[in-house]
Amino acid sequence: MDNVNVVVVRGLRKSYGGRTVVDGLDLDVRAGQIVGLIGANGAGKTTTVECVQGLRRADAGTLRVLGLDPVNEGEKLRCLVGSQLQSSGLPDRLRVGEALELFAGRHDDDLLEEFGLSDRRRNAFGSLSGGERQRLFLVLALVNRPRLVILDELTQGLDPSARRSVWAAIDQLRTGGTAVLLVTHELEDAERLCDRVVAMRAGRVLDAGSPAELVDRHGPWATVRFSMPAGSPGVVTPERLRRLPGVGDVTWERGRVTLRGERAAIAHVCAALVSAGWVPPDLSVHVPSLEDALVDLLERSSADDELATDKVVHLDTIGANR
Amino acid sequence: MNAATGRLVRTELKLMLREPLTLIFVFVFPVVTMLIIGGSFGTKPSGAFDGVNPSHWYVASYLTVVIAATGLIMVPVHLASYRERGVLRRFSAAGFSRWSFALAEAVTGLVAVAGGAAVLLAVAAPVYGLPALHDPVAAVTGFSLGAVAFVAIGVLLGTVLPSARSAQAVGLVLFFPSFLLGAGGPPPKVMGSALRSIAGYLPLTRVSDAVRDPWLGIGPATASLVAVAALAAVATAIAARRSTL
Repeated sequence: MDNVNVVVVRGLRKSYGGRTVVDGLDLDVRAGQIVGLIGANGAGKTTTVECVQGLRRADAGTLRVLGLDPVNEGEKLRCLVGSQLQSSGLPDRLRVGEALELFAGRHDDDLLEEFGLSDRRRNAFGSLSGGERQRLFLVLALVNRPRLVILDELTQGLDPSARRSVWAAIDQLRTGGTAVLLVTHELEDAERLCDRVVAMRAGRVLDAGSPAELVDRHGPWATVRFSMPAGSPGVVTPERLRRLPGVGDVTWERGRVTLRGERAAIAHVCAALVSAGWVPPDLSVHVPSLEDALVDLLERSSADDELATDKVVHLDTIGANR
Repeated sequence: MNAATGRLVRTELKLMLREPLTLIFVFVFPVVTMLIIGGSFGTKPSGAFDGVNPSHWYVASYLTVVIAATGLIMVPVHLASYRERGVLRRFSAAGFSRWSFALAEAVTGLVAVAGGAAVLLAVAAPVYGLPALHDPVAAVTGFSLGAVAFVAIGVLLGTVLPSARSAQAVGLVLFFPSFLLGAGGPPPKVMGSALRSIAGYLPLTRVSDAVRDPWLGIGPATASLVAVAALAAVATAIAARRSTL
């Protein structure tokens, strides 16, 4: 099953009322792979997955999901896809057990148990808490053992423990060869679960790769802080620290060192400190996360756009003056 | 009908019985108002009531109040609330066939009409007695086509109105004039000419004529039956298209 392309999207375009929401997007999801779509609000993530599911018709581009056309072969496809959609609910008076019966045609006590809903079987959807509703949506997405699962805002409203059980369930899907397409604002979800993330802005792909690759490419430097009073044994001078591989800049103020650099620099710095006989009691390390990387990427891309707009305006002005 | 569609129909029927608005407007309101209005004019045949027993005139008329309550209140509010809450999106994404929801709504609406009518007749029988059916085929045809037409109108309203609240407001605004002028209010013969002509344009008046006239032997009401059939055909065609998933 691995390496089989479950989702293949090429040049997807979609506009609403003249506003381009998805602009030439390419996307691949393979069997057993978890791919996350990340980006700010309005990046086109939800529209993309709606097109993948055949809930919206693309204006241009080609889409193949499990070898099927999502629009023309939508009914066939949707039986093979499980989805947990953003802003879609259930009737308030529908009971948990009835929802399972309606969507799957059978009961699945194991799945209800796994997501902590077995004692809520006879409760109406309207009486469930936000987290319980979210867990029920996940159960409904997974109950038919789909080959592709689309999860839009997977852990919204879940407490930390429920979130971990959801992560474990999604991990299991990957092991079973199911492809997962995840749309999320929770970058911790993406970092923890995804084999590959696609960062989007204004309907376009800014960059794609594993979470670690994106952090390496776009994340700010790692920061190491520790105190080192003047005259400490072994004398690790700022100059020596600066010369270590991967170290960017070093500041030393009032006996406190702040050092920024690549992640690999952390090891070199720690090794240098230990070999100099100084193990700082207050050493702290901040490693950039996917969230840091995405914020930097979005800010840079936004700045690039503003620069491009300025250039266009400038050229227009020149043209107007002729 | 495939298994999933069958499950959807069964679930929708179950949910219908849990909806207080449906229970009140389809099953309780027509019965209570029929008991009040049907007993207000006695049982002596009168010219204002086309020469028939006024209580019987109202028993026949109130069957169409059930139709109006279903089509103008129950179905649109239900459908609009599903759209508002994203339930239809979920059905669509879950692989229910394109026509399954349209079918479920049709079945639910028609079962509600049949159930409401059965309750109404069961209450009317011991109180006013059930009038003899002069032309059962025409009366049943008028009732069935009227039910189809109003369920389809309800689906159309539900697909156009943005929320359950707006569907409720619009439904009530459409229901009460239809109820008072076209079925459960004063008979057209005692209305002023302006009101009578307005009543003549209301779809529910046509349905009432198509049910009551052949039932009580007032006349065949062919024109009304044709109008109701045309309304049923057009409304169903549009509603079916608009309620696909």
